[in-house]
Amino acid sequence: MITMQKELFRQLFKRAFTNQFPAKHAPKSVNALLEAVGKGKAKLNPPVPVPENFRGKIAYDKNKCIGCQLCVKVCPANAVVFKPKEKKISYHTFRCTFCGECVNVCPVKCLTFTDEFLLADYKKD
Amino acid sequence: MMDPLLMNVAMIPAVAVLGIILGLIYKGIDRRLAARMQARIGPPLRQPFIDLKKLMMKENIVPKNAVSWVFNFMPVVALASSLMLLMYIPFLQIPAILAGSGDLIVILYVLIFPSLALVVGGFASGSPYATVGAQREMVAMLSYEVPLAITIVSIAWLMSMTGSIGTAFDLAAVSAANIWSLVGPIGAVGLLLLLVVLIFVTTGEMGAIPVDAAEAETEIAGGLLAEYSGRNLALFYLTSAVKMVALGSLIIALFLPMTPVQLGLVQAGNTGMIANVLCFLAKLFVVVFLSSTFIRVAVARFRITQVVKVYWGYTTLAALLGLLLVGVDILLKVS
Amino acid sequence: MLEKKKDADGDTSYSISVGPVHPALKEPVKLNMSIEGEKVTGVDFELSQVHRGVEWMGTRRNPIQIMFLAERICGICNICHIMAFSKAVENAAGIEVPARASYIRTIAAELERIHSHVLWAGVAAHELGFDSVMHYTWKLRENVLDTIEYLTGNRITKAIVTIGGVRRDIHEKQVPRLKETTDYYLKSFDKLGKIFLKDPVVKSRCRDTGILTKKEALVTCAVGPTARASGVRKDIRVDETYAAYPELDMKPMMPDMVTGETRGDVYDRIITRLLEVKQSAEIINDCLNQMPEGKIVYEEKIPKLLAELKGVEGEGTGRLEAPRGEVFHYVKMVGEDSPYAWKVRAPTYNNMLAWVPMLMNEQIADIPIIAASIDPCMSCTNRAVVAGKTSSILTQENLHRLSVEKTRKIREALK
Repeated sequence: MITMQKELFRQLFKRAFTNQFPAKHAPKSVNALLEAVGKGKAKLNPPVPVPENFRGKIAYDKNKCIGCQLCVKVCPANAVVFKPKEKKISYHTFRCTFCGECVNVCPVKCLTFTDEFLLADYKKD
Repeated sequence: MMDPLLMNVAMIPAVAVLGIILGLIYKGIDRRLAARMQARIGPPLRQPFIDLKKLMMKENIVPKNAVSWVFNFMPVVALASSLMLLMYIPFLQIPAILAGSGDLIVILYVLIFPSLALVVGGFASGSPYATVGAQREMVAMLSYEVPLAITIVSIAWLMSMTGSIGTAFDLAAVSAANIWSLVGPIGAVGLLLLLVVLIFVTTGEMGAIPVDAAEAETEIAGGLLAEYSGRNLALFYLTSAVKMVALGSLIIALFLPMTPVQLGLVQAGNTGMIANVLCFLAKLFVVVFLSSTFIRVAVARFRITQVVKVYWGYTTLAALLGLLLVGVDILLKVS
Repeated sequence: MLEKKKDADGDTSYSISVGPVHPALKEPVKLNMSIEGEKVTGVDFELSQVHRGVEWMGTRRNPIQIMFLAERICGICNICHIMAFSKAVENAAGIEVPARASYIRTIAAELERIHSHVLWAGVAAHELGFDSVMHYTWKLRENVLDTIEYLTGNRITKAIVTIGGVRRDIHEKQVPRLKETTDYYLKSFDKLGKIFLKDPVVKSRCRDTGILTKKEALVTCAVGPTARASGVRKDIRVDETYAAYPELDMKPMMPDMVTGETRGDVYDRIITRLLEVKQSAEIINDCLNQMPEGKIVYEEKIPKLLAELKGVEGEGTGRLEAPRGEVFHYVKMVGEDSPYAWKVRAPTYNNMLAWVPMLMNEQIADIPIIAASIDPCMSCTNRAVVAGKTSSILTQENLHRLSVEKTRKIREALK
């Protein structure tokens, strides 16, 4: 009957479960915090590390690409756009759904997963 | 020397400001501890002050179909009445500013005011959620009034039976008498029961889960406060903070009035004063933790019908049992 | 928002609307309720507040692309949609899924069931005003989410199923982590059970609240845990053979296994879901023990698979048990890149009808928990939207007449 109440009392004296990324409390100004981090004055709490084979931001090796357009064909979100003049592709991170079908289909492995997942930005590229 | 009356008048704003600040600090502690119990980090301790500042800066929206003067006036009534409550309650055995004969009864009445202001404000805001909330608040008010009255009456009866008939309803006298010293072991059990009842009534007065049916966020979207915003909401926020301090102090004045100096643990003087204040803050913390923080994270919300059942049924029964035990104790002593 | 009406007896009834945006609702839907005092006397609801045109988008994409679109129909039960769609296409194209792939699909689906039910338990607790339990259950849920991320690469959208198999294998070194997860949930099952089923306040709020009798469940075509809690022995995992379920020893979880009786109330629905968390953990353990070696996908080369699918003509259906109930996908292929038609029916579509008998004569205070007790998912359900103002409503008669006309036209065309 009092399982939860006991558990609550126990948790009162335990560390919080919350992952304290990037800071324990919201800073007064995010920009000021980021600036301070840039100058090395403040430190951010690191995020939880990602496991192996994480599906993060996709890296594109332009030199390896042969312009076969298979990735364009399988991309569900139209995040890969073919550039006919250069016979290369451009990859739009902000449209990407990270399904990884392009990584699987690429015959020369010029598209690969990275561990990067903090992708919010003001700019579109 | 200043005229004592003038002195008292000068004290009023000081007590009011102190009450508000203390209330907001305790609200911060309350939120932080609740978060820790739920394995969260929780907001910083100064969060209530930040919230207040933000609410004060926000636009004050009055709904189209609200009775605007009532709608705007009620937050002021609520805050004023809850501050008035503070003026009647003695802190650290220093007589209250408005202390007088029979002030315990006045407190009983003034306690209704903030809730009543909420109800009137809810009805005046013309929103169905607020209307449902106001109806529920009225029902809840009626139901926790009974055990509260029984508790106060039993203490007054205890006072009058033990020889201080004239000052039975004077809070200062009750506080000075230390009711625990007036009873034997059976009466002490009864008083303990009454203390538990009063703490649970405080939960109802505070409108905390499990008896927050009037504000029930997931059911009626904040109920009474659904239409309130900006300055008006800030006033209600302050009301609840002040009420927390006032009710906590009332419990302390009634049931836990002893200060370290009186107990002879510390010598009177400056150190004694500091010890007294710290002890008071600690007692207030315990009362707030039990009546609000712990119970609101540990239990699910009651339906309004269950609120009535719990207060009119179990809590009233407990209060009556407490009264009975105190009565038996007194009769045993007299005979 | 508020209307005052007087009925024949002179009783005043209010009509109150919950939604489209309301703190009790996690997704937009509009519940219109007639209220007398605190009692609900009439229930109606309006859908299609979150139409996204998913099916329309699907008919402009090839099956490989649709898979990932289907996965985004629902955030919680994403694997059911990708699996049902794959099943429909496999059905249409006559593709056989390798045995190992079936097992991996089962494991992924059961991991998702654990995560969905634990999430629901938290939401239900929140609706009851018991936020501590919400935080506690969501803390429990982190474990399975991390395991899903470890297995598939992302916490929520797994993208592990593909047409004709799965995209990622479960390696030998990943097995211990999976076993750890199942142990964790088997262990926390007891505690969750105590928290939900023994807590006096939770019990008093949920027992005999929102009752759906067996007959009503059958009439409203309720599916999944909602139907099972009312005593309808219906579980697609048992009734239909798909993935690795036929090779596993399992039976539908019914509330009377714990309490010895079926009342069909919110409490029974909590029991059913909690039992299924335990069942899912056991299924995963069984799968890991029985899993055969072999291929994991029918055709590894995606261009080749696409070329093969392009030649397919015919219809296919995919039907499976999502955490919330039965998911149904229909695909019609006409030998083109993209399918001619793709229809999706999410379980909430059936379960919502059960709201009407459940909510009748209940208190306002119980609307949130009853509404949440079917685990509604609005954006999965919305398949159509009414644009502009229309005065015509299609009744059963109208629809019947229209279909008779259509049949006549088709007959004439066939002559």
